[in-house]
Amino acid sequence: MNPVRMLLLGTLLQVKQQSRSPLEITISLLVPLVQATLAVYLFKAGTNPPALLLAAVGAGMMGVWSSVLFGSGAAIQNQRFQGTLEILMITPMRPAFKILPITLATGLVGLYSVVATLLWGVLLLGVPPSFAAPLWFVVAAPVCVLALGAFGLLLASTFVLLRNANAIVNPLGYPVWLLSGMLVPVTALPGWTGPIAAVLPTTWGARALRAAVTGGPVWPALALCVGEALIALVLGAIALHFVDRRARVTATLALT
Amino acid sequence: MRTLRLLTVGGVIAYRALFNWTTPAMFVGTLLVSPVFQLLFFVYLGRTLHVGDDLGYLVGNAVLSAALACVYGGTMAVANERRYGTLGPLLLSPLRRAAVFGGRALPYAVNGVLISAFTLTVGALLLRIPIGVRSLPGLALAICVGALSCSFFGLTLGSIGLRFRDVWLVSNVADAVLLLVSGVNVAPAALPPVLRAAGALLPLRHAATAAREAAGGAPLARLVPPLGAELGLAAGYALLAIGLLALFERGSRRHATLDVL
Amino acid sequence: MAGELAIEAVGLRRTYRTRTGWLRPRRGSVDAVRGVDFAVARGELFGLLGPNGAGKTTTIKMLNTLLTPTGGTARVMGLDVVRDTRAVRRRIGYVFGGDRGLYERLSALDNLRYFAELYGVPAREQRARIGALLDAVDLTGREHERVEGYSRGMRQRLHIARGLLHEPDVLFLDEPSIGVDPVAARELRAMIAELSASGTTVLLTTHYMAEAEELCDRIAVIAAGRLAALGTADELKHAAAGRRVLSVEAYGVTDAHLAHLDALSGVRDATVEVSGQQQTLRIQTDAHVDVQPAVLRELAGVRLGRVETRAPTLEDAYVAIVNSTRAEAAA
Repeated sequence: MNPVRMLLLGTLLQVKQQSRSPLEITISLLVPLVQATLAVYLFKAGTNPPALLLAAVGAGMMGVWSSVLFGSGAAIQNQRFQGTLEILMITPMRPAFKILPITLATGLVGLYSVVATLLWGVLLLGVPPSFAAPLWFVVAAPVCVLALGAFGLLLASTFVLLRNANAIVNPLGYPVWLLSGMLVPVTALPGWTGPIAAVLPTTWGARALRAAVTGGPVWPALALCVGEALIALVLGAIALHFVDRRARVTATLALT
Repeated sequence: MRTLRLLTVGGVIAYRALFNWTTPAMFVGTLLVSPVFQLLFFVYLGRTLHVGDDLGYLVGNAVLSAALACVYGGTMAVANERRYGTLGPLLLSPLRRAAVFGGRALPYAVNGVLISAFTLTVGALLLRIPIGVRSLPGLALAICVGALSCSFFGLTLGSIGLRFRDVWLVSNVADAVLLLVSGVNVAPAALPPVLRAAGALLPLRHAATAAREAAGGAPLARLVPPLGAELGLAAGYALLAIGLLALFERGSRRHATLDVL
Repeated sequence: MAGELAIEAVGLRRTYRTRTGWLRPRRGSVDAVRGVDFAVARGELFGLLGPNGAGKTTTIKMLNTLLTPTGGTARVMGLDVVRDTRAVRRRIGYVFGGDRGLYERLSALDNLRYFAELYGVPAREQRARIGALLDAVDLTGREHERVEGYSRGMRQRLHIARGLLHEPDVLFLDEPSIGVDPVAARELRAMIAELSASGTTVLLTTHYMAEAEELCDRIAVIAAGRLAALGTADELKHAAAGRRVLSVEAYGVTDAHLAHLDALSGVRDATVEVSGQQQTLRIQTDAHVDVQPAVLRELAGVRLGRVETRAPTLEDAYVAIVNSTRAEAAA
């Protein structure tokens, strides 16, 4: 067995499965376009407009988070409906190998939304594509997306365990958008939110992409984003190990 | 009498059968917590960009928070019949479609009102934004009318779901579009004409306007035009929903498109 | 001796917790399986029969590591299902009936490739093995199509191919023939028989008596969470030994009729099966009594079809076993 090959094939097939779902495409493509439009008009209306490009990039990052959050929630829920969650968990690999491809795939599907919001902003909304460090952006965007996918593993462990994953998923969209400074700068929020923001890889991912737009060093934020994602990956793998055992006690892998 | 019973009792039973979000965790998480965070997000965004004032964002987003329950709920009220395979038996019922489906929007409207009131209260407390007692009747009226028209809008989307399989896609986009064009977060004047026109024809924009006026201390008489417009939309969507239902039902017999499988 | 056993269940139990209500939830528990013991030898084809909700699927899921037993122990190929989970998983295949259990938006080939990876089938063997399995389940040529366009029978065959990818020692088949047309079901039976002949241990649940009788070396009947009978098909028929079966086609038999029939002397059990307009009364009697005249008198006024007396089949035995456990449970 070759773990790299397995993860690559698994991720590829999960991307295929998810990107053929109209709902997944809507969440990661159409809704971010509406959000980008909203962000750009809001920023245009503002008396103190920061770069409009930041609005488009921020909306793209919001899309990535939606995709990871709603996407992995929905993917695992669908597998439960489809009966494949049991089939997946009964295979002899370590649980993380079975679930990580699903969340990595949601991140990659979310990459659509970064590209789409940028194109939409530049082509239709008249956002000037003035990147301070375009090459860094090209590097940082996919790295962020994969990092968030890896972070998703930690979320996914709860989705596997709880039959009603949506109850956790739905309220987690806006807080993370807000706290990680995707559109609202972290400095505008009450001070006590700082530590929470600091442990979210989304914060550092958003900061890295903002730096690529406005200038300044990209790599420290990017490194922190990847570092936190790796920690989440390890925690997620450990959590899944226990979830695998727990789900067999609580009988939540199947619907019946 | 029988129609009234069908409207109320039938509506409530259908709500319990078809609304997927009635478990405690789902209700609290999705319908109560989520809108509060949405409100906070936009209030902070408004503050950062120095557009509008806190009070306007607060009441506007509170009205808008009903959208989630009403749009998705209205959609589920019809579209889930198809998913559960109960559409066939339902359409075989000899009763009037208008009463069967019309009653379904009402529980979601009530639900929407509760959510708006909750969001408004929690938002005002968290952000320490005072709301005058004298503006409460106007606000309450605006919230009720907004939730009603939004529920009928949801029912219209649900009727579309009878004909097209991927209705959740429509409600997801509809929810996001309401955020954009309802004038709550981006002033209508800042939007291009197409989106401005869309906002005027979709639910909640007029209700949000009325709520803002009320919060600003306007007398009830000033709320009549926007609330009248919103009520007009409510009636319009109710008729549209029932018309579409009838149309798709007739079409389905001819083309067998309602086949549940 | 233990080395000869493929599956060994000792005092297996499973209780589910339930929760109903909104603000003040009522908690309760349901005993799905209440202490089941059986052993399956290597290479045996073992059938598990029982009414809906009797605990068949729960039993299978405890044996295949999807559920943890709340009591008792189970071993598969000598390995404990709770302690040696991964080792058990490597040795077993699991296939269930119905439409579910496949990635709908992927092709058959992609489904098989993914699971070949997840079962650790070496990369250089994958192509040959997938090809051979596609051939065996008659899907060659359609393997690039998405599963969502497949018929029930094709899905079922793909499901089986997926379950066999890693050449499991033990295969769990949970109602594989459900909703499959008669021709496809026949092919399915041939495939199961072939697998068993090649040395794979098979545990099969089904509602079709003919299928169980044709295929299974031994059959266990589970009713109300307990093992009600265990033996070969012929041995099980002894449950109905000393009986005859009077079978009557009828139109319009009521529950009151049935109660009267049940009360006739010499009648052990009366059941009715409905298919469309037609009802089939099955009256089990002691072999030495002729109840036909009395039965026909009771049914005066009811339109009747064919009436025949015959020796009991496996189905009659099954009905007798299940009904007697129900009577015990009610008593």
